[in-house]
Amino acid sequence: MSRAERRPSMAERRNSFLSSPMQSVGTPLVVPHLAGIEDPLPDTTPEKVDVLIAGTGMVESVLAAALSWQGSNVLHIDKNDYYGDTSATLTVDQLKQWVNDINSNSSKCYENAKLYISKTLSQRNKYQSRDFGIDLSPKILFANSDLLSILIKSRVHQYLEFQSLSNFHTFENDSFEKLTNSKQEIFTDQSLSLMTKRNLMKFIKFVLKWEEQPEIWKPYTDRPIIDLLLEKFKLEREQIFELIFSIGLCYNLESKTVGALQRIRRYLTSFDVYGPFPVLYSKYGGPGELSQGFCRSAAVGGATYKLNLQLVSYNPTTKEATFNDGSKVKVEEKVIMSPTQTASDSKNVPDQPYEVHRLTCIAEKSCSQWFAEGESAAIVVFPPNSLKSNNRQVVQAFILGSGTETCPAGTSIWYLSTTETGSRAELDLDAALEALEVSLIRETSTEFENENGILEFGPNGESIINSVKLGKSFKEYIPRDKIQFLLKLYYTQYTSTPVFDVVKDEFFNRKHDANQELLIPGASDNGVIFSSMPSAEISYDEVVTSAKVLYEKIVGSDDDFFDVDFEEDEVPTGSRTAPVEYENTFEEDDDEDIEMSNSNVEEAVGEMEI
Amino acid sequence: MNSNVTSVKLVLLGEAAVGKSSIVLRFVSNDFSENKEPTIGAAFLTQRVNIDDHTVKFEIWDTAGQERFASLAPMYYRNAQAALVVYDVSKPQSFIKARHWVKELQERASSDIIIALAGNKVDIVEDGGERKVATEEGQKLADEEGLLFFETSAKTGQNVNEVFLAIGEKIPIKKPNEHANNANADGSNDNNRVDITSSDNNAAAVSGCNC
Repeated sequence: MSRAERRPSMAERRNSFLSSPMQSVGTPLVVPHLAGIEDPLPDTTPEKVDVLIAGTGMVESVLAAALSWQGSNVLHIDKNDYYGDTSATLTVDQLKQWVNDINSNSSKCYENAKLYISKTLSQRNKYQSRDFGIDLSPKILFANSDLLSILIKSRVHQYLEFQSLSNFHTFENDSFEKLTNSKQEIFTDQSLSLMTKRNLMKFIKFVLKWEEQPEIWKPYTDRPIIDLLLEKFKLEREQIFELIFSIGLCYNLESKTVGALQRIRRYLTSFDVYGPFPVLYSKYGGPGELSQGFCRSAAVGGATYKLNLQLVSYNPTTKEATFNDGSKVKVEEKVIMSPTQTASDSKNVPDQPYEVHRLTCIAEKSCSQWFAEGESAAIVVFPPNSLKSNNRQVVQAFILGSGTETCPAGTSIWYLSTTETGSRAELDLDAALEALEVSLIRETSTEFENENGILEFGPNGESIINSVKLGKSFKEYIPRDKIQFLLKLYYTQYTSTPVFDVVKDEFFNRKHDANQELLIPGASDNGVIFSSMPSAEISYDEVVTSAKVLYEKIVGSDDDFFDVDFEEDEVPTGSRTAPVEYENTFEEDDDEDIEMSNSNVEEAVGEMEI
Repeated sequence: MNSNVTSVKLVLLGEAAVGKSSIVLRFVSNDFSENKEPTIGAAFLTQRVNIDDHTVKFEIWDTAGQERFASLAPMYYRNAQAALVVYDVSKPQSFIKARHWVKELQERASSDIIIALAGNKVDIVEDGGERKVATEEGQKLADEEGLLFFETSAKTGQNVNEVFLAIGEKIPIKKPNEHANNANADGSNDNNRVDITSSDNNAAAVSGCNC
């Protein structure tokens, strides 16, 4: 098949038992796998497939579902015995195994995994391994985002439960400031001067339609957004930091204007889509759950799933793929592989030059004081220079409580990450962790020492070395003061996607342009297209773009990416256009006429008219 | 939502080609009660059953073939309140596999899951075919493990509705306001669920508990 040619749609390819999905009104149609009695599924791997995908991470799973519904015959494998790969949600036991694997194999993907498990957890009296669901790359879902639309369109959302997250905290001057993130709060916030309120509202009005006003931002295109906020909008440092780091979730003060404006708008247009919060997350685990959902969707669409299977080699001439169990399959079109899934003779894995440093902790504290009422999660952002370590890059923390069903009552999971590089990164993460701890135990705290890390304290205050790598024995460590950590995990993840960016089409073309594939003698992965590792991005925003780029490589166009039209019943009621109360409000004119619903707020508006 | 409707997630398990899907198709598409036809891409099939004065709405999850290579996701078992384990009375191997699935459910699903065992394809026996798994064998396994037991035929419909009715009768009826008492130790509660298909710009989209 030529590259430009569009593949036949699913309806065209499978009209033996499927007619057009549009025909569903009143016509009994059969779900493919419910046709089991007529066409029993074989217990052997198929001999021939259109596409082989190795790795069940987020991007690969979305791709598998998109391809399956488009009509491609997909074999989707994973070398692990669980779903999710780079996006997995793991139990404690699985996490131990994962750390072991990272440390015993050199890979371009992960490095320096250090796992500490407390005696309380390892003894298994109070907690079981499967009480916890620990994400390798935790993510939040903006209410107004491409992935959310795909979740609805594909119906994968029916496999999932979503919860709201409204609390975004900014760490400033050794304390947490809850984000002033709604216009009501902006008006009622007593600490904001009238001028600041006015300037802030002006900026919010601008950012919602910033592209239409190039005269304002064009001169700042190549400059950091902070210049625009200072010079054009006369905002103060505190508001600027909230806008750039908490609302925009940018990584440093150098963040460029255009990218930052997009990110600030992302938050604002997501606010109030489903309620007074900008983001959601999935219960029972993040991308690990979503991956499972998309894999199930792909399976319903006809994909074959086989965990515990590794691609050992692929021959681009014969198109034969060989697996570690000795089986083989002929791949008619493309082999897509996550960099984590490679066999030993891989020589084509793209460089992964960007670092993401992560620190994941399970605390024996509910941390509910950080969550909004009825919620179980919060985001805490540590802007540059807010930490003892004089951090240059932001540290982002995503805190999940037991209401997310990823940890038992009375515990919480803290996911910290930074884009800082090298040894500074761990210092920043430790400093952020300490700041979180101090905040939690401020009332009872007496003294604080953290020079050598918290891993060196015995039951009676004597210091003991507990920093054992996995594979050796786990010794008890007793953290100081009130907060007991059940688990701590440090690791460095590498990616080919820089922050603030999404994967570029060219990335996949390096060795594949114009069919002039460069074959490396002896390599097991010639002709394989590698997917990208997750970036530092805390939202799911890169996923759909990455999956679409790969889809286009295989199908020839992304026109019918999830072009599925399931039957009329249970079709989502609301359309997914940018909704936002903000916009409605600002349709009105300027500051004077802002409509407010509750009386407190009206008072504040009155104040503004003075 | 009608407080008389209890939603039940039911998962199907059994060796390939024992007729799991056929049983469900028979149950769902038979005019058993008023219901729509199964449709392409359905995340799961649904069927309502009226039992006394309340309705049980089954959300039936097919394995979608993911069981073939031991690749069922944890998501499949999560919050499943009922399971239907199917074997073929003419295939002893499928009965051995059924034992395996019962064990798997006891390990991976919640401890109070209701499991029904169905020996399918009894029509083959009635047509003079050879039965390889005796009714007593099935009944014995069911007694040992505390399972509901039926011999069914998806082809003729024999006992198909009865299986689901029997499961429905064992499902605890959801009392109105039950969720209100469900708040866990951290003060968050089960109702903090966001329906992402209703973006009506309304805080009511979060079915938060207002009591």
